[in-house]
Amino acid sequence: MSRNEAYGYAVARIRAMEPMLFDASMFQRMIDSDGLSGALKVLAESCYSRGMAEGEQASERYDSVLEAELNRTFDEIASFVPDRELIDIFRIPYDFHNVKVIMKGILKERSGGKKRFDLLTRLGSIPVDTLSANIESEEYVLLPYGLSSIIPASFSAWDQSGDIVEMERKLDGGMFAAILLLAEKVGEPGVVKWVKSRIDSENLRNLLRLKRFGFDATEVAAFIHDGGTLAPGTLVPLMSEQFDSWGRALSYSDVGLAISAAPDNIDFDKLILALEKSLDDYCSSIVERARFSSSAPENVLAFLWGKEMEVKNIRTILVSKGTNSGGDEVKEMMRRGYY
Amino acid sequence: MESVIAAMAEQLGPALVVLGAALAVGFAGSGSAWGIGIANEAAAGVMTEDPKKFGYALVLLALPGTQGIYGLLVAVLAMQKAGLLGSAAVALTIWQGLGIGAACLPIAIAGFYSAIWQGKSSAACILLISKRPDQIGKAVILPAMCETYAVFGLLMSILMLMGIRI
Repeated sequence: MSRNEAYGYAVARIRAMEPMLFDASMFQRMIDSDGLSGALKVLAESCYSRGMAEGEQASERYDSVLEAELNRTFDEIASFVPDRELIDIFRIPYDFHNVKVIMKGILKERSGGKKRFDLLTRLGSIPVDTLSANIESEEYVLLPYGLSSIIPASFSAWDQSGDIVEMERKLDGGMFAAILLLAEKVGEPGVVKWVKSRIDSENLRNLLRLKRFGFDATEVAAFIHDGGTLAPGTLVPLMSEQFDSWGRALSYSDVGLAISAAPDNIDFDKLILALEKSLDDYCSSIVERARFSSSAPENVLAFLWGKEMEVKNIRTILVSKGTNSGGDEVKEMMRRGYY
Repeated sequence: MESVIAAMAEQLGPALVVLGAALAVGFAGSGSAWGIGIANEAAAGVMTEDPKKFGYALVLLALPGTQGIYGLLVAVLAMQKAGLLGSAAVALTIWQGLGIGAACLPIAIAGFYSAIWQGKSSAACILLISKRPDQIGKAVILPAMCETYAVFGLLMSILMLMGIRI
């Protein structure tokens, strides 16, 4: 069976799962609902109800409800997609998040603090218990995705500098390298392109954050991850320019349009939020093109990315209900939906 | 030796007819099976999530099956023309046999390729109805466009068969 034929079933099943995703009207109902409990009632009418026990007030633990639904989606898609790597591309960031939590816990414990295992997520591809046991017993060789070398290197970076950012930078670099390696293993140019667009997005996001903290061009090169379409030599000079000229400087690339879409003349906090939204929408636009094909593996990425954006939007709405933010403010932050 | 050659010449006409009929059924039928297989994968994917879509999917996945029927029809007509189906025996020359055999090729070739592509079109349209079942009318029309060329193949095969004088 050819690769395209193998995806015939998978893409059809994904297409049939699409009506379960939130559309614009569902998000609008959540935004218009009365308070957090009203928004949760709307949520309970959807597939997310599976994570809610009957009669339970989910207001305290909606994060675990969202996590459970995302985890269920990953598991379900993994059960029929020919290339497991496509799901691991989404799970790896959660693995690396868990690694960070465990490593920070170990460092905290050394200085007499307490570990925060409540911050661990079950969305990773490596079971949390296995990951934790292997890191704590220093059995790094048993860990995949290059973690066997990244974790000792990150610990030694901490020992030398005492800088947690340096440690996280090494882990993030390893994470994107592992994701890119998986994408290349799948062997579909569209999958590699999407991963590269995510690396570009992360690099641009980092640049803006570093600019906000007053870093200069000489310091930022170390924070740029390899593997994106934009080379460090293109990105570093942006630090010495105003943000509103970034779009012009990158106008030759696809991501230039996304940057131009972010509003300027607003304060840095809002600008970072607006840029993050534009970059997420840019990643959506890259992978959405595959939806015209009935057998492209990128359809798997499009669906899972759409689901992640849906969860992000729901979380934004629920948080806004908790903080009584206005509906227009929420809509500005919401990512483009998969519909 | 001459008697052997004469006997072979006598048999070669019907043999060419049988070969043509075999190609018509074999290729058109294989194309149909292939096309239906492609559409079936999509239908199975959709029905895993929504079994109620079976009725819609059945219409679309049956479409690539028609080429196999056309191939069978042409094969029967060819064999009947050559007197190989129960009717009175017909003496065929090599050229008549070759003509009837060649007349089977349009449906064999057009049927094979059009069925595969129709299967792909049907699969895509099954994805369409999985999300928009109200669009079933348009979803049937799109793969039916591939059917046109199978019908042309069938028509040409029949006209060619009718044009051969025995």
